[in-house]
Amino acid sequence: MSPELEKCPRSLLVCEKSNFLNEKSRHDFHVSKHNFNYKISVLMPECGMLPANISTVINSFSHYYLVRALPVHELLEETFLESLVKKGHFYALSYNTKIDEDNSIALLSSGQLILSLDKDTYEQLGLEGRPSLYNHRKAMRFVVTLDLTDKSLSPGTKRYQRVLSSLKDRLPLRYDFFFTKYNTGADEDKTLNKLLSQYAYEEHKPAVSHQTLKEIPCPTLYPSDIQGKTLSCDPHHFLEWLGAVNLDINCENAADSFLSTYVCPEPQSSVSQALLCTVTGFISPENVFALLKELRFTPWVSLTVHGFMDSPVSWGATEHGFLKGGENFYNFVCFKNQDYWLHMATGAQDGCPP
Amino acid sequence: MSVFMDLNIISSNDKNRLKSIIETAAHLGYSTVAINYVVEPQQKKQEIPKPQSVSDIFDKFPIVQGKSSPIKVLNRLTIIASDASHFRPTNEYKSFDLVAVYPKTEKLFHAACMTFDVDIICIAVAEKQPFHFKRAPVNGAIDRGVFFETCYAAAIRDTTMRRYTIANAISLMEVCKGKNIIMSSGAERPLELRGPYDIANLGLVFSLSEGDAKAAVSTNCRAVLLHGETRATASGVVYTMKKPKTPQKQEEESPVSKKKSDTFGNI
Repeated sequence: MSPELEKCPRSLLVCEKSNFLNEKSRHDFHVSKHNFNYKISVLMPECGMLPANISTVINSFSHYYLVRALPVHELLEETFLESLVKKGHFYALSYNTKIDEDNSIALLSSGQLILSLDKDTYEQLGLEGRPSLYNHRKAMRFVVTLDLTDKSLSPGTKRYQRVLSSLKDRLPLRYDFFFTKYNTGADEDKTLNKLLSQYAYEEHKPAVSHQTLKEIPCPTLYPSDIQGKTLSCDPHHFLEWLGAVNLDINCENAADSFLSTYVCPEPQSSVSQALLCTVTGFISPENVFALLKELRFTPWVSLTVHGFMDSPVSWGATEHGFLKGGENFYNFVCFKNQDYWLHMATGAQDGCPP
Repeated sequence: MSVFMDLNIISSNDKNRLKSIIETAAHLGYSTVAINYVVEPQQKKQEIPKPQSVSDIFDKFPIVQGKSSPIKVLNRLTIIASDASHFRPTNEYKSFDLVAVYPKTEKLFHAACMTFDVDIICIAVAEKQPFHFKRAPVNGAIDRGVFFETCYAAAIRDTTMRRYTIANAISLMEVCKGKNIIMSSGAERPLELRGPYDIANLGLVFSLSEGDAKAAVSTNCRAVLLHGETRATASGVVYTMKKPKTPQKQEEESPVSKKKSDTFGNI
């Protein structure tokens, strides 16, 4: 067999350990940088019922909107910029667009509008951009980044007029969008409602589901040993086991079963019950942070946050691509003494997580 | 990368079967398919069939899974040529979006690569390749923008054909180094279709690199479509389009020309 067949697409795993109370801890930075979150799953060993504080936090997650056929130039309108984009905490991502096939648009909380365009659209639109980092022999994908908070793109300038006319007249792009806004308390809903009322939209609440697992083996983890050399297990094996539990895959590795050979990594102990809680939707990083603050249970709690496979960016403005898989997720393991482990993983066409 | 395409779905007279194949393709994630009319001129002077109008098959095309746009359907002609006289580009070829040839002899393969006005050259999958691929005609075809096609449906149907498909594909890849390759199904039934990422993995078995294998189902297919479109143009730059001429417009034209002659004194 040719040696090419033995190679798999590469994946990256970055592991970090620290304490939440440590001033140099960068957990808030990592959470806030990962703009688009699709699914959160929490695994709590030795827990039967969903604790009340976690349940209140999850119920207070912001709603998200799915807007149909929104023209992209609406994201550049003056009132929209002033009231939503410049104030921050507003996220938008195009829906039903594949990152490796067609155009994908994302608006980050920092005010950057990222357009990941295929060759034909890029050439017709006429905006300045650069070729994608994940092109093969020919450049087929281009990325246009517009910083909407920049002075040169404020309404009235020549550059702003040019960008607006490209998106309005030269090539009107229309996509379904996900919107979400984290409300910091002030009453800013009016502009968003006014914009939404012009187009067909649906309001959604993140979907929550939980199940209690009985008699499952759980790895024992010691906060000091993240690499798994002496006391705990290897991070790769731990994440594999975590994925198996989330997908309800049998980890017994019985001799007569050929379906799954996944095992719980050593050292392990059997727990009588564990709670698995999943939230899916378009979730903003601020909500994730609020949930993270509540998770302190014995012996450990794991919080996994998955990003969208088709988003143009993963962490910050690092470009994200889809080769055979577009996973970009991070996993917190929180211990009772405020220690935490953070694993950040990406797939083949992705930059290294920060 | 561009959208995923499957450029070889064998046409049949059974409309329902064709409909179900196209629906399966849309469900698997293909954004464009091409219905292939295979013609073998050797038998009793077979005539080139007229392609069925695409809108006859569906009133409303199925939406591609994961996207909001419907699937695009094109028409393609394949000529199985065992003699040079079989391939004669006539006006009937113009009604097809893509033209392909399946050369049976080495001389024809050389001629197809260097001179024939085709978009796709098919590679044998159901039998051992009767001739070896030489670097010269293959490179000539690559320079001209002609693509080589491997079909995988035969590999699904039968194990012996699987061996031939893989062997022929690997020998082609050695010569062309992974450039100008497309992979398509050649499916006669909906069950013979496979998803685009699976076919990209199949490309790894054919000794393509990962990027080349994915391009074989997306970028290269797009290039084939553009090549087919430019066949009807002058060097790909100028093309004619039928403009609907209304009687009103003709009346307006005459006063304008009258004005011109007044200003300049001559027409």
